[in-house]
Amino acid sequence: MDMFLYLDKNTIVHRLDPRTKVILLFCSFVMALMFTNPYILSAIAAIIVIYGVMGKSLANLKRIRMILIMIFLLSLVLWSLSYKGGSTQLLGPITLEGILFGVATGIKFDAMIISGMVFLSSTKMEEISLGLVKMKVPYRGAFAFSTALRLVPMIVSTSYTIIQAQSSRGLDLKSGNIFSRIKKYIPLVIPTILSVIRNTNVFAMALESKGFGYSEERSNYLNIYLKKNDYVFLSLGVLLTIGCIFIRVVGIVN
Amino acid sequence: MGVKDSAISIKNLSFQYKTQENEKALNNLNLEIEKGQFVVIMGPSGAGKSTLANSLNGLIPNFIRGKYEGNVVVGEMPVKETGVSKMAKKIGLVFQDFEAQLFSTNAKLEIAFGPENFGIDREKIEEIIKDVLRVVDLESFGERHPATLSGGQKQRLAIGSVLASQPDIICMDEPTTDLDPLGKLQIFKIANNLHENEDFTLVIIEHETEEALHADRIVVMKDGKIIEDGKPKDILKKVDTYESLGLMPLQIPLFFKRAFKTEENELPLTVEDGIKLFKENNLKIDDDLYKQLLDKDIKRENGYGETVLKVSDLKHTYPGGVEVLKGIDLELKKGEFLAILGHNGSGKTTLVRHFNGLLAPTEGNVLVNGLNTRENSIYEIGKHIGYVFQNPDHQIFADTVYEEVAFSPKIRGCKEDEIKQRVKQALESVALTGYEEADPFMLSKGERQRVAVAAVLSAQPQIIILDEPTTGLDYAEQRQMMELIKKLNEEGHTIIIITHTMWVAAEYAHKVAAIRSGEIMKFGKTRDVFKEEEELLKSYLKTPHIVQMSNVLNKTVLSVDEMIQVTKKRG
Repeated sequence: MDMFLYLDKNTIVHRLDPRTKVILLFCSFVMALMFTNPYILSAIAAIIVIYGVMGKSLANLKRIRMILIMIFLLSLVLWSLSYKGGSTQLLGPITLEGILFGVATGIKFDAMIISGMVFLSSTKMEEISLGLVKMKVPYRGAFAFSTALRLVPMIVSTSYTIIQAQSSRGLDLKSGNIFSRIKKYIPLVIPTILSVIRNTNVFAMALESKGFGYSEERSNYLNIYLKKNDYVFLSLGVLLTIGCIFIRVVGIVN
Repeated sequence: MGVKDSAISIKNLSFQYKTQENEKALNNLNLEIEKGQFVVIMGPSGAGKSTLANSLNGLIPNFIRGKYEGNVVVGEMPVKETGVSKMAKKIGLVFQDFEAQLFSTNAKLEIAFGPENFGIDREKIEEIIKDVLRVVDLESFGERHPATLSGGQKQRLAIGSVLASQPDIICMDEPTTDLDPLGKLQIFKIANNLHENEDFTLVIIEHETEEALHADRIVVMKDGKIIEDGKPKDILKKVDTYESLGLMPLQIPLFFKRAFKTEENELPLTVEDGIKLFKENNLKIDDDLYKQLLDKDIKRENGYGETVLKVSDLKHTYPGGVEVLKGIDLELKKGEFLAILGHNGSGKTTLVRHFNGLLAPTEGNVLVNGLNTRENSIYEIGKHIGYVFQNPDHQIFADTVYEEVAFSPKIRGCKEDEIKQRVKQALESVALTGYEEADPFMLSKGERQRVAVAAVLSAQPQIIILDEPTTGLDYAEQRQMMELIKKLNEEGHTIIIITHTMWVAAEYAHKVAAIRSGEIMKFGKTRDVFKEEEELLKSYLKTPHIVQMSNVLNKTVLSVDEMIQVTKKRG
């Protein structure tokens, strides 16, 4: 089973310099976090999705669609019930303002997740660390960051095997109330953690054995540099973000 | 040939892990390896082989700490003082676990990682990548993500990623343990090609005795010491030493030694030499005695009970649209012992995961004791069929052996007394009585494997599936595990094992199913299937030496013991 997020395609987004993509990711976060207005957040989300379509990254969005839907619904329910200060009361504690705030927060988080997903689907781990290095992050730090991302699919595939092994022994995850279910996860969590620890240990040994940390000066097989498209995308991203900051500060929308 | 320079020089090396109190992993070990040698290191579990390998590039003592004494010089560099990353230019280390040593997005970047660390410029790295991909026979896989490669390809890539730093020594720590026969073969092919370079030194830790024949030198270790050291043709004749160490002796010399007390220095090693000696000594396989073997097979077959597993026209297509199983028919009776053979990706594991309902058929049906796996949950089916996964560490979670084994009866709602009784029986079956309060994580791999079997036995399933039950164990542990499974079979359990180890299938299975590309290529009595050596070789399944020898003599025996039983002097 393929657990890796990177999609090996040759699209305009894939060809962008990783630094461009890091900055665009950052811009998308700034824009999403600035607003609480569901309409403008929808517009931002739409732009991010278009960016994702250009990078042919939607296949990965399909894989996490349940998570996206859950986050949206959870945010909607929680904020509808707990939002204070809404004036248009609908039913009990639920106000129209609460619902709108819930919708906005749901879109906000989903937009950020989608943006992160597009980034990971279109950027190799080596590009991420190289991009960070070129942005003056120390190599060890950059490598640690990209390695952390690499661990996720490893953990997922290990836990998949472990779930199969334990359900073969009769572990039934589908029945029982929430407390008995949590207890049932112990036979899954412990072997997963121990396997990951064991794997990372071999991983570290393999790294050292391949000369990791030989010297501060390291060469790079990948060659990244800013091209015309990078400047186009960067300008668009930065202008859009400045525009957003402007309408937010002036107070046209919240 | 003059005296060659030394590639590896170890003097009085001792090492004690932090977890060890009295014993030492390496105990005053001395070893000199000349440039250009191909050395195979063998030894039972716990002999200190991996410790030795990790000492060669400085992982010990610089990464794994402990009490270190002695002196190791590799490629004229003092290992301890030089540090691991600097040693990488001199010596490459390849590990058994190929999953954990690959971390890049594609094969090219994986290979580039080493040279990048040494600051080699881009054009040169491009050249290295091309060379290395050719050496490890992965030329068309440069852009592939390592996760999409087969086990054998991954291990080859791991070797390539180490070769990229252009060391002149390479050490591989059990590189073939987790590989299928084809994967193994290709690793040895690479090793032999590398060996053609006179200045390239090769150290391989290996437990496949048949493969050690091709080395220049065999070093046998036990308890942190070297106890045998010499040319393969001398060392491999010491079959008694091998057996007493818990290593697998070659079958041909073992046969002559056991049957005729042939002097050690006269023992043949290969099948060809074995046949020559067999004929010289006027020996033959006696027809009557051979018929007794066949009669025993038939008698065993007549003793089987009702059908317990019925697979009809089973097809399975993965979500991506790949058809893994293309119509499998299989029937198993109570008391049978089936071995499933086949290369990685042939569909073996997918097939057996249908037997207990982990996977549902895309087409066709699987009936377990008459229950259709489509209509019954894993929980229901699990009462009839138990599944021991390959890696015990994927299922062990409890603090004590007792808790681990009690898990299954507990969630099945057994009463306290019943649970105690079942745990007791299960631990008796795997010879772990007295280990109830032990922490499973502190046990050896072989013992953990047995805990995993006990944990499945305690559910008292009629049928037991074991996925590669002998992988990662040394020969003595493999024997112990298989004897245990044989006993369970004799007690009435129906057994299904997946295995890559051909002698295990030959000596223990009643029936064999060889799978290739989602189809059953051969299915039948082990003796009948192993007779068709050529057919099996097409799937890279190489029959054990003793089977090959008997096939040349137009009969098929499955073990050294059987060969001894049927051999007679002419006249």
